[in-house]
Amino acid sequence: MKGSIGRIRSRIYEARTLTAVAVINLSFVICHLSFAAAQADPVAQLHSEVDQILALAYSGQSTETLAERARPLLEKDFSFDLVTRQAIGPGWRQFTAGDQQKVTDLFSRLVIRIYAARVVGTQRPTITYGKTVTLAPDRCEIPTRVTTPNGDKPYAVVYRLINLPGGWRIYDVLIEGVSFVANYRAQFDDLVRRGGAAAVIKTLEAKLAEPINPNS
Amino acid sequence: MNYLTPTLLLVLTCVSGFADQTNQPNPPHHSSAATGTKKATKSSQKTTNPPAPSGDELAIEPVEKVNDPWERLNHTTFRLNDSLTIHAIKPIAHGYEHIVPHTVRTCLSNFFDNVDFPIRFGNDVLQGRIVRSGQEAGKFLVNSTVGVGGLFRISDHVSSLADVPPEDFGLTLGHWGVSNGPYLVIPLLGPTTVRDLTGYAGDFAINPLNWYLIFSNQRFISTAVGYAISASRVVARAPRSVRTYEQMKEAAVDPYIAVRNAYLSHRAAQLEK
Repeated sequence: MKGSIGRIRSRIYEARTLTAVAVINLSFVICHLSFAAAQADPVAQLHSEVDQILALAYSGQSTETLAERARPLLEKDFSFDLVTRQAIGPGWRQFTAGDQQKVTDLFSRLVIRIYAARVVGTQRPTITYGKTVTLAPDRCEIPTRVTTPNGDKPYAVVYRLINLPGGWRIYDVLIEGVSFVANYRAQFDDLVRRGGAAAVIKTLEAKLAEPINPNS
Repeated sequence: MNYLTPTLLLVLTCVSGFADQTNQPNPPHHSSAATGTKKATKSSQKTTNPPAPSGDELAIEPVEKVNDPWERLNHTTFRLNDSLTIHAIKPIAHGYEHIVPHTVRTCLSNFFDNVDFPIRFGNDVLQGRIVRSGQEAGKFLVNSTVGVGGLFRISDHVSSLADVPPEDFGLTLGHWGVSNGPYLVIPLLGPTTVRDLTGYAGDFAINPLNWYLIFSNQRFISTAVGYAISASRVVARAPRSVRTYEQMKEAAVDPYIAVRNAYLSHRAAQLEK
């Protein structure tokens, strides 16, 4: 009798253990699938990235502090390498590897610094995400609408993402139809043709040396 | 100064979290990367094999040529406008912001936007956009009544009226197939093209608030009141224009080209909507 009760208890224990293991495994699988889905879905990823950046941007920091703290996040979300290559255009191939690295570093610093100066002192906007548009098998664009709490008219921002080996990365941003990289490419074009990498580096260094007016 | 449209957008690129043109016929100038979904989709349709994941194909797009035959003169005018913005309009804008509370400034800005309804509505009709003209009329009705004469933009909270692309006569001419023509920088007015300048004249004539300048005998509003309204409109828009212009200058390595590219790309995008 005692043996039967013991076997029953043992089976119940086994069943509970198996259930617990199954639940743990299921949880793990669900978590894994969610994570995989988030990685595979550029919208979910962009949403998460923008939220992180906005949370940091509107945490009441100075321009300098924000630029330093936002850098790792922005470098994770943006392909600054591709952004810079696009901004320079075909002339990029004439640059040496050292010049390419230098220009990428300077350009990313310029973008991050300007970004930090622009958000400090402003109020956090509300962002509405639209339907993703596939541009190519490895590229898509996600339209968003940005509404600021200060009563200004909402404006359209389109993020273009590319699926690189490290995941989806932003390679261009269009504001009301104006491409960030195309605008800089137009500005750099003459500079690259006339002075090559040296002229671009000199110009970027001069630009970074200018003081930023946070109140402008 | 009409820097708001072009400069805005370059600056907003940075603010939002991250902020050439050709002599070809319409749809007009697009910088290659600014061409947007349509062009990108076309290119994707032509693609038979998936592109390399490095994005190399994106980095080799050349800058398209811009129809800017009067570039030297435009540069001079650009510098003149820059000085006017910094030394004349900026102090006025600062004074206005200092004296008038933010809420009142927003209301005034909304009011002048609402007053421009005949321009947007008229051009929707001229382009044969029946649905959009109805939306514009709805916006005007809602903002003029519930929004107390246009002081409050209630239409932003109505989903069907929240995002109606604004039309003007420059866009109407583009819709009819008129090409941009040469790029121009006009004193005080800022960047434009021959087509858009023609359109600006048309819009100016459509706006009842400008009739005091066109018809000296009309009794709709007196000349003095008309001038006061025009001045108020300029002042009400000055703070944002000046701020965006200065931010653009800070972000740009070549402000003239940055504004030109932003203006032409933005207009091209508006024409596609």
